[in-house]
Amino acid sequence: MASWSQLEAIKTAKVLMVGAGGIGCELLKTLALSGFQDIHIIDMDTIEVSNLNRQFLFRQSHVGQSKAKVARDAVLKFRPHISITPHHANVKDPEFNVDFFKDFNVVLNGLDNLDARRHVNRLCLAAGVPLVESGTTGFLGQVTVHVKGKTECYECQPKPTPKTYPVCTITSTPSKFVHCIVWAKDLLFAKLFGDKNQENDLNVHPSAGTNSTNPTEDVFERRADEDPEQYGRKIYDHVFGYNIQVALANEETWKNRNKPRPVYVRDVLPDKLIQQNGSLEKNCVTEESAVSAMSSLGLKNPQDVWSLAENSRIFLEALRLFIEKRQKDFGNLAFDKDDQLAVEFVTAAANVRASSFGISLHSLFEAKGIAGNIVHAVATTNAVIAGLIVIEAIKVLQGDFQNYRMTYCLEHPSRKMLLMPVQPFEANKSCYVCSETPLLLEINTRTSKLRDFVEKIVKNKLGMNLPLIMHGSTLIFEAGDDLEEDVAANYALNLDKALAELPPPVTSGTVLTVEDLRQELSCNINIKHRLPIASRQIASSRNKGGV
Amino acid sequence: MAAESKTKYDRQLRIWGEQGQAALEKASICLLNCGPTGSEALKNLVLGGIGSITVVDGSKVEAYDLGNNFMLDEESLGQSKAKCVCSFLKELNDAVKAKFVEESPDTLIETNPSFFAQFTLVIATQLLENSLLKLDKICRQANVILVVARSYGLTGLVRISLKEHNVIESKPDHFLDDLRLHNPWPELKQFAKTIDLSVTDPVVHKHTPYIVILVRLAEKWADAHDGCLPSTRQEKKEFKDLIKAHMLNLDEDNYKEAIEASFKVSTPRGISSHLCQIINDAAVQVDSTSPDFWVLVAALKVKSFLLLVFKVPPLISFVL
Repeated sequence: MASWSQLEAIKTAKVLMVGAGGIGCELLKTLALSGFQDIHIIDMDTIEVSNLNRQFLFRQSHVGQSKAKVARDAVLKFRPHISITPHHANVKDPEFNVDFFKDFNVVLNGLDNLDARRHVNRLCLAAGVPLVESGTTGFLGQVTVHVKGKTECYECQPKPTPKTYPVCTITSTPSKFVHCIVWAKDLLFAKLFGDKNQENDLNVHPSAGTNSTNPTEDVFERRADEDPEQYGRKIYDHVFGYNIQVALANEETWKNRNKPRPVYVRDVLPDKLIQQNGSLEKNCVTEESAVSAMSSLGLKNPQDVWSLAENSRIFLEALRLFIEKRQKDFGNLAFDKDDQLAVEFVTAAANVRASSFGISLHSLFEAKGIAGNIVHAVATTNAVIAGLIVIEAIKVLQGDFQNYRMTYCLEHPSRKMLLMPVQPFEANKSCYVCSETPLLLEINTRTSKLRDFVEKIVKNKLGMNLPLIMHGSTLIFEAGDDLEEDVAANYALNLDKALAELPPPVTSGTVLTVEDLRQELSCNINIKHRLPIASRQIASSRNKGGV
Repeated sequence: MAAESKTKYDRQLRIWGEQGQAALEKASICLLNCGPTGSEALKNLVLGGIGSITVVDGSKVEAYDLGNNFMLDEESLGQSKAKCVCSFLKELNDAVKAKFVEESPDTLIETNPSFFAQFTLVIATQLLENSLLKLDKICRQANVILVVARSYGLTGLVRISLKEHNVIESKPDHFLDDLRLHNPWPELKQFAKTIDLSVTDPVVHKHTPYIVILVRLAEKWADAHDGCLPSTRQEKKEFKDLIKAHMLNLDEDNYKEAIEASFKVSTPRGISSHLCQIINDAAVQVDSTSPDFWVLVAALKVKSFLLLVFKVPPLISFVL
């Protein structure tokens, strides 16, 4: 089958797999069967039940264990004499530096997020190691090859970033169900069960302006003696009734939009008010693991779309169960799609809000998918993609660059092909990651703080994890825990300053150098001061001649 | 479906839904020869929750089998290959009923053709052409789907052989927004008549649903064109201009929507020849054994208009 030189290249290759999930399991199996003998795997996750429909190296009994380790054990069973080294860790950890990557002949990605992919891309470029990238979603998938100097790097073509929504859409004018989910998850859930010190836009109304010290802030605090059910009704009425009423008072917002309608417990569940403490004892749940509003209320099918009344009952019951069973976690809880009660709460809350705004309601199953950013997946696509990865890996090991292919796995045949191979493109000369092109940033240097620059531009947009920022030969910021106290204090001061007030000032014409030492990525950014809109208009009218 | 399996199958339920999952769980598969291709195919089906599998293979596990089949290890040597593959697959998903038959598929095809009638689908691997031809005849007779697969090194092929495959719930990627604007039903026409397009209040004007705009203006056009709707490129452009002329100002989203959807007024009537072929097929003479698909087509023929599954566009959802 394979030529002698191919077999030799395979036998002596040292391969790094990043990810031991859907693609990872298929990939490890295929690599082992193809004769690879020295494989390292990095994966920080543990096994979950929902993995079992496709990550076939894992069994029910492995739930909770490290994916990298269990995958290794499973494959050693049929290939006892090869070397597989698992790393139960985050690929962004400092131990996986450029020297670590340099040891490998090829890196194979089986990741599920953009952030890690960009990080690995930069390390591979820095180490000069070829990267075979891949991804799958349902029946779709692709495999791409990235070799420094020969092809594009992973970041030469901009990749779509996850969708975010304007704050006002979430807090005041939702028009889609997903807006209601984000409200329920990131605002209400966070407000009730998350970090109390975290800024929260829940009570911000369009007319109120910025975060004012709102006297009704207390409504979310539950007094020790306050009956959980009563508290629940109070919260319901506040967020679905009162808050909407307040928002309606601002005519301007609703000039071109359908008005929401406030919803109160008394209107939706008139019988609820008659029920007092103790009447729900029949639904008393004793086990931690079985805490669920759905089972408490006898609603069995997560694919059913509940009525407004049912959603309201779930909301109140879920909130009651949180208080009675999960009180100790309050202040720390983050939404987790595998937390049944959290999913029920968020679904119900989103649905009541949706009902208010005339948006169609969704089932728990659908809501969970949206709230948890769940990607649909099957074994077959992963198996196909894994096969293609190994084929490309073998070509890479032999330096057979004329035959490198990007292969796209389509859901329907295009020109009678389900697998579409395409030749890789040459590197993008304006790629700031692999081609050292300087960037231009237009920013208001008088109002933008260094902190904004670091968080929104350097970390978020440029994907650097531990950045270092230099202005000429002066370090104006460094990320990291191991800084000396006075140095760290100096940076902290800098973060709060506007760019134009830094020592030395950052203004139009300044060139900032931004680096991430671990990713070995360095970038020059040309700064251009951007006038605020009002003054821009004045400036342009002046230019028009006259004044 | 038990809650446990709902969690396990969550990611695939999001692809094919409960009906798809039910269809999988009702199906029974027969694999002929459990070499690497066949075993791998069954793995994917078993993980997905297929109803039952029957593995037919007469061979014993040899040393060279360990080189290409990850379901076998040193402990399997000398045992029935079908038995070993079956027990591995059973571990992958114990909800799947797994059986094995230690028999050569060629022999089975020759001596016991009725064996295959019990299955929904047969996957035939590593079989030679003469066996495949016989098997194909058997499957066609019994209305069993046949999938043939062969692989050689880095190449391979898959062929499907079946008499007919019909799909009722096709799960299209997008729904048709068709309110039959080229021939609106009476109640819609009536409703549209109650709306005054030339209302002067700008707020009300920009809230006229775009459907109403199209129904009214299509009628206006037809009145000026001998009852015909815009059909040529020029006419379609002129129809768009007619809509534009009714705008009070440039930010009216409803009119913009009407312009974008104006082509719906020109949708040709009648059904495609392909559809005609189906409606006139002999299978439309249904009886109690006919599949649901043909019963539905027969009903369609009687009723003689097409039921379209559509989603009501959000703009008028509060009206209907």
